[in-house]
Amino acid sequence: MKRKILAALLASTMILSLVGCGGNGGAASTDDGAAATTDEAAPAADDAAAPAADDAAAPAAEGEETLTVWCWDPAFNLNAMYEAEKVYQKDHPNFKLNVVETPWDDIQTKVTTAATSGDLSTLPDIFLMQDNAFQKNVISFPDVCADLTNSGIDFSQFAAGKTAYSVIDGKNYGVPFDNGAVVACYRTDYLEQAGLTVDDFTDITFDQYLENGKKVLEATGKPLISMQAGECDLIMMMMQSAGASLFNEDGTANIVGNDTLKVVMETYKKLKDEGVLVEVNSWDEYVGSIVSGDVAGTINGCWIMASIQTAEDQSGNWAITNMPSLVGVSGATNYSNNGGSSWAVTTNCKDQALAADFLASTFAGSTELYDNILPSGALATWAPAGDSDAYGAPSDFFGGDAVSAKIVDFSTKVPSNITGVYYYEARNAVATAITNYINGADIDAEMQTAADTVNFNMGQ
Amino acid sequence: MYLFLCIVSFISVFPLYWMVSASTNKSAEVISGRLIPGTYFIENLKNLLTTQNIGRALGNSFKYSIILTVVSLVVCSLAGYGFEIYHDKGKDTVMSIILLAMMVPFVATMIPLFQMVSKAGWLNTTIGFILPTISTPFLIMMFRQSARSFPHDIMEAARIDGLSELRIFFQMFMPTMRSTYAAAMTITFMNAWNSYLWPKVIMTDATSQTMPMVVANLTEGYVTDYGMLMLAVLICTLPTAIVFFCLQNAFAEGITGAVK
Repeated sequence: MKRKILAALLASTMILSLVGCGGNGGAASTDDGAAATTDEAAPAADDAAAPAADDAAAPAAEGEETLTVWCWDPAFNLNAMYEAEKVYQKDHPNFKLNVVETPWDDIQTKVTTAATSGDLSTLPDIFLMQDNAFQKNVISFPDVCADLTNSGIDFSQFAAGKTAYSVIDGKNYGVPFDNGAVVACYRTDYLEQAGLTVDDFTDITFDQYLENGKKVLEATGKPLISMQAGECDLIMMMMQSAGASLFNEDGTANIVGNDTLKVVMETYKKLKDEGVLVEVNSWDEYVGSIVSGDVAGTINGCWIMASIQTAEDQSGNWAITNMPSLVGVSGATNYSNNGGSSWAVTTNCKDQALAADFLASTFAGSTELYDNILPSGALATWAPAGDSDAYGAPSDFFGGDAVSAKIVDFSTKVPSNITGVYYYEARNAVATAITNYINGADIDAEMQTAADTVNFNMGQ
Repeated sequence: MYLFLCIVSFISVFPLYWMVSASTNKSAEVISGRLIPGTYFIENLKNLLTTQNIGRALGNSFKYSIILTVVSLVVCSLAGYGFEIYHDKGKDTVMSIILLAMMVPFVATMIPLFQMVSKAGWLNTTIGFILPTISTPFLIMMFRQSARSFPHDIMEAARIDGLSELRIFFQMFMPTMRSTYAAAMTITFMNAWNSYLWPKVIMTDATSQTMPMVVANLTEGYVTDYGMLMLAVLICTLPTAIVFFCLQNAFAEGITGAVK
C-alpha cells in the first residue's frame, strides 16, 4: 500500500515539475516578445515574431505589411535585405521585414524537417537558397516553393545561366540574387617578376595557363593557384565553362563517357603534377594561402574577392580577368559560375502577391538597391544594374580596374548547366574520383566508380 | 613518462590556448597563423556585439540549460532511485527497454518530435526545448547504479523511525549522492548548453536563438571574421568550463560511483 502511495507521489512530482516548467516556458517566451505561447491556437502563428500574428489577422489589410525572411550573412545578404526594405518602404510606408539570421545548412535542415513532417507553418515568407540546391529542393519538396512565373517579375533581365538554377519544368521558382561569376585573380607583382602581365592571362586556354604558371613558378617559387583537396570547386567551374554537367536532361548521371569531364580531370592532374596547382587541406588554409601570398592567384566565384581584400597590405597588387578555357572541348568558354544564391517565396507566405511585388520592385527592379549594396560586395546578376555609374567606378585594390562592371559582363556569358536533385552527391563522387586519379588510379575505372556511386545514391 | 604526459597535455591544451590568442587577433592574422596574443580583443568584442545579440543568446542558453538541468536531475534521479530500490522483474524489463532507447539516434525521432511539439504550439518555447531530453536513459542508469551503493540498512532504520519514503529520498538519498548529482549536473548542463540540432529545428525565431546557434551564424557567409568567431567560441565555452571546474572533484567521484 505504502509503495503504491509512493508511486503516486513520484508520478505527481514528475507531472508537477513538467507543468511548472511549462508555465515557465510560456511566460519566458512572452518576455522575449515571441508570438508562440502554450496557447493551442499558436501553431498558425508560430513561425515568426509578434508582427506575424498581426499578419495572420489581417494579411492584406492597409495596416502593417510584414514579411519574414531567412538568410545568412550579416555583411552581405542580410544587409541587402535591409537595403531592399528601405527601397520598398518609399512606396509602401507600412512595409516591414523581419529578417532572421539563419545559416544555410540550418535553412536546409528546417526546410527538410518542415516538408517531411508536412507542417509548413514554420517556414518564413521568403528565404535565400543556394543555387546548387535549388532544383534538389523544388523537386524533392514540391510544396515548399511558390511558382513565381506569372507573378509580375521580369526574369528576362537576369543572366540566363543564373535563372536556369531556379527554373524547373519551365517554371520560375526563384529571384536571382548574388553573382557567382567566376573570376581569375592574379598577384600582378608576382607576374611582373616572371615577365608577364594580366593580359597574358586574359582569354587564354588551360594549356597557356600551364605554360605561364611554369614561368611564374620558376621566377617566384609560387604556384599559380591553390585548391582544397577532396573538394571539386575548380572541377565544377571547368565543367560549367564548357556548359557541361554531371547529369543529362532526364536526370540520369552523365559521368561515364563524359568527354568534357575526362578532359577536366586530365587538365587538373597536369596542373597539379607540374606544381602550378597546389592542394591544401581546408577552406581556411585555402583563404590563408591567398592572403598570405603563398600563391600567385586563384580562380573562384567573384565573392572570393571579399576575402582577398582583407589583405589590405596587398592593395594595388591584384588584378582580375576571365578564367582559362578548356582545350579540345566543344562549347568551351572563358566564363563560368561558382556559388551564388536566389530568393524563394514559400507557399506558407500568407500574402504571396506582396512578396512577389517586393522582390519585383527591389531585386528585380531597382538599380538604387544594387548601387547601395555594391560596397558590401553584392554584385548583381540583374543586367540593368551593371550600367549604373557605381558599377563603373574603379577599384584601387584591383589596380584601378572597374571590376564590378567587368563581373556583370562575365556573368551574362556563363553557359548554363544542369544541377538536378543529386548535384551534391555527384560532386562528392567526382571529388573522390579525382583524388584517386591524382594518386595514380586509372581514370576510366574511377569515372565508372563515381557513376556507380551516384547511381546507387539515386537508387538505380 | 613525464615527457609523454607533457606532450599529451600540450596537445590537449593547445587548441584552448589558440582559441584565446586568436580572439585577440585580427582575422587576417589568425589566418596567417599568428600564435601570440594580439591587441585586437576590444575591436573583436565591439564587432561581435554589433553584429550579434550575444546578451540575448547567452540569456536564452542559460535559461534553457538551467531549467533543463534542474528538471532533468529531479526526474532522472527519482526514476533511477525507484528502479533500484523498489526493483522487481517488471521494472527490470522496463529498465532494459529504456536502455534500448539509448540506441535510437536522435535524428530518427526528430521529425515525429517536431510534429508533436509544433502541434502543441511549443515552437520557440522553453518547454519545446527541454521536453525531449528531460529524461535520458543514461542519467537514469547512472542514478540507478549509484542507488545500488546506497545502504539499505539506513533506509530500514529510517522507516522504523517513521520517515516517509519521499523524505528518505529527499533527506537521505539526495544529500548522500551529492557527487553523483554533481556529475549528472555537469553532463546535463554541458549537453543542454551545447545542443544544436534540436534548437535549430524548433527555434525559428531570432529572439529564441542560443549561443551555439550564434556561433554557427558567424561561420556562414563569404568572409569569416576569425578573430570575432574565436571570441564568440570563447564566450560560448566559458560557462561550461566554469561549471566543470567548480564541480571537477565531485564529477570524478560521481562518475566512479563513490558514496560519502
